[in-house]
Amino acid sequence: MATRLPEKEIVVIGGGLTAGLVARRLVPAGREVLVLERGPDWSGSAVGELPHQRDELRWSTYRGMTRRENVETYTLRHSPDEEALPMRQLLSFLPGFGVGGAAQHWNGQTWRFSESDYVLRQHLTERYGAKSIPDGMTIQDWGLTYRDLQPYYEEFEALFGIAGKAGNLKGVRQAGGNPFEPWRATEYPLPPLEMSEASQIFKDATGQLGYEAFPLPAANASQPYRNPDGMQLGQCQYCGHCERFTCEANAKATPASLLFPLVRSRPNFELRAGAEVIRLNTTADGTRLESVSYVDVATGQEFIQPGSLFVLCSYTLSNVRLLLLSKIGTPYDPVTRTGTVGKNYCYQVTSGLNMFFPDRYINPFMGAGALGFVIDDFNNDNFDHTGLGFHGGGYISATQTNGRPIDTRRLPPGTPRWGSAWKKANADWYLRSMSISLHGSNYANARNYMDLDPDYKDQWGRPLLRITFDFDENDALMCRFANGRMEEIAAAAGAKIVSKPGVRKSPYDTRQYQSTHNTGGTIMGADPNSSVVSPHLQSWDVENLFISGASVFPQNSGYNPTGPVGALGLRLAGDLLSYLSDPRRLG
Amino acid sequence: MLPDEPQGLSRRSLLTGAGALGVGAGVVAAAPGAVLVRQAGAEEASPPATASGQAAQPDAVAGYQSLGIEEAAIVEALVAHMWPADDLSPDGVALGIAIFIDRQLAGAYGQGDRLYLSGPFRQGKPEHGYQLACTPEACLKTGLRHLAEISDRRHAAPPDRLTADQLEALLHDISETPPEPGAFDLKAWFNELFYPLFVRGAFADPIYGGNRDKQAWRMIGYPGLPATYTTDMVTWRGRRHPASDTPMSIQDFS
Repeated sequence: MATRLPEKEIVVIGGGLTAGLVARRLVPAGREVLVLERGPDWSGSAVGELPHQRDELRWSTYRGMTRRENVETYTLRHSPDEEALPMRQLLSFLPGFGVGGAAQHWNGQTWRFSESDYVLRQHLTERYGAKSIPDGMTIQDWGLTYRDLQPYYEEFEALFGIAGKAGNLKGVRQAGGNPFEPWRATEYPLPPLEMSEASQIFKDATGQLGYEAFPLPAANASQPYRNPDGMQLGQCQYCGHCERFTCEANAKATPASLLFPLVRSRPNFELRAGAEVIRLNTTADGTRLESVSYVDVATGQEFIQPGSLFVLCSYTLSNVRLLLLSKIGTPYDPVTRTGTVGKNYCYQVTSGLNMFFPDRYINPFMGAGALGFVIDDFNNDNFDHTGLGFHGGGYISATQTNGRPIDTRRLPPGTPRWGSAWKKANADWYLRSMSISLHGSNYANARNYMDLDPDYKDQWGRPLLRITFDFDENDALMCRFANGRMEEIAAAAGAKIVSKPGVRKSPYDTRQYQSTHNTGGTIMGADPNSSVVSPHLQSWDVENLFISGASVFPQNSGYNPTGPVGALGLRLAGDLLSYLSDPRRLG
Repeated sequence: MLPDEPQGLSRRSLLTGAGALGVGAGVVAAAPGAVLVRQAGAEEASPPATASGQAAQPDAVAGYQSLGIEEAAIVEALVAHMWPADDLSPDGVALGIAIFIDRQLAGAYGQGDRLYLSGPFRQGKPEHGYQLACTPEACLKTGLRHLAEISDRRHAAPPDRLTADQLEALLHDISETPPEPGAFDLKAWFNELFYPLFVRGAFADPIYGGNRDKQAWRMIGYPGLPATYTTDMVTWRGRRHPASDTPMSIQDFS
């Protein structure tokens, strides 16, 4: 028998980045906010303290900070006519777990999406004609433009102390920054990180080819920093323990360091960790949310938490699953292409190559999550796609994130996998090798979507989310094109040995880490028939429900998603205040 | 150990009652199993020698928790073959890789503490990843059993009694050959379970029993802890960092 609790004004589901952004704005405004987070509160535990913070086996190999598969995992099939199997180990992406979510163990790469991203279908139609977009490529416009988000990008970068170099200040080109950057109002709050040998090699090689490499925008503070809220970041130590770890030096911007401390002691704020929301409960007519049901994961006891306004801030895939489990909205049907919940699931197309330099010390262990030089010439529509047969692209970079020895030992092609020759190759090349990588777009495909699995259930007996996904021809062609550019860079760099980059193609391999950038499923748009939430992230079906995170992206760009997720989260916080003062459908 | 010398004799000698005394001291000494041998009365077994020529300290974590004696013999034979003694380091058993694997099997990972282990169980494509109903510990042991059966069929001997060439051929076969329909997938077992454990045992922090005395870190030049390189980014850019020669582990700071 579930216990009914006293009503709270605002109930936030999930305790990650956007929950923190919402709480930061609403709590000081006097609103009552309850955050329900199913994972633990990491603060004060070994994960953030030396020497154990540097334990690669525990935090990286065994993914100690990320979601446990027996709490929630997903099933996967490559096409709608197959049976799905569960991802019994989550290896290809790493959802967050606990207070701060994935933004607690992230790398810190903080981009603004291209201006064309928000109006992708319109843009490609205007430039290449409607026929250039394949029938199955179900890309959509966001229902807003870059101009709408620009101030929120600015605010998010200031809050998180992003280190970088502007390439476009109010339309004026800036040397040293990204020539393709959408215009920005101010310089980055912090100067770029100190670059590694690998990054310098990349900058020199791309310069020879006529590209202008620029520093990757990083939420790894290059200097001590105090943000506009008065919150403090320390200086990055280049320790190579960002992704999959939390920062021992407090130099990586996270919700737990910058957002939640602002509100934690306020009487009108409560963060309940270990509270797993299992259902959103609508009123009888289905037009409003009345409460959420959650389980106290320590006792297994079920509670009903009523509220007047609800914000769904869990991970992309969990947002979608909660809507489907709660029967909110119409599930997407890939045959008729009707319905919206689960639609336009997208991932990220990545590849890379390794370079080996017998006479150069790269020192891969000196790194930071978002450290490196980048070229953006082959991202999205920054280059002419006429005659190429694909849309989209990605940025090419030489990041030096870590040289942790279990996972990051590059070996020349043809090296045996064990024995003395293998040992010698490790000894020869660990300090003298580097990689170049592609981080590419993934445009929506009618066959790729999410629904509830008919067979597999979680520990509370609820169906798992089923992902139907595979890379398509567009992805393979884009990847092959970008791989060619990477090979040219490797040749210009004068590497003695270069590995062959893999083409990202079918079947999608769940065993290999690719990126945690899953997007879509509760997509935003101006038309209720083709989107789940409005451009203000308000559910079209349930007026007092707002949805946040990368689940609202109509398709994925060739950039990391945290910048736009943060900007959308800040914009949402303002919209929520407006809604609370006058509950209505926001325009 | 000579490349072609049959491995694991000490342990099987013990099992068969032949005793360890007739076996070369070098063979006995290479294994943590030397503890067992010493208990059997071979006190003269000398401590294992490291590549640098120093006698290693007695191993505080020797002795298996999960692996049985025959299982341990196979694991030791595999890791000593895959990480052979040479001028870079002693072999994988002396490096502690077998002990590392044993500890992982007995611990949270081996018990599948976070694995999704609900049915139904179906055979998927390789790209679906782990689809077995058993914990990593049980699965690893099942694979060892299958490996022993193949070895027995081919050579009328367990894996730990094969010559280096025989073992090398066997490992290549199982790691490259897709399984027969319905058969236990030794290819996935080796590539996705045993091999990753082997690598982790070599390169993880020594607190887990492998990478003894940080020898694998020293071999490649990984400095371990502490890693604070703010000024070093400039000072040591493009040059060999001195910390590469003197790695520090969690143990050193605990």
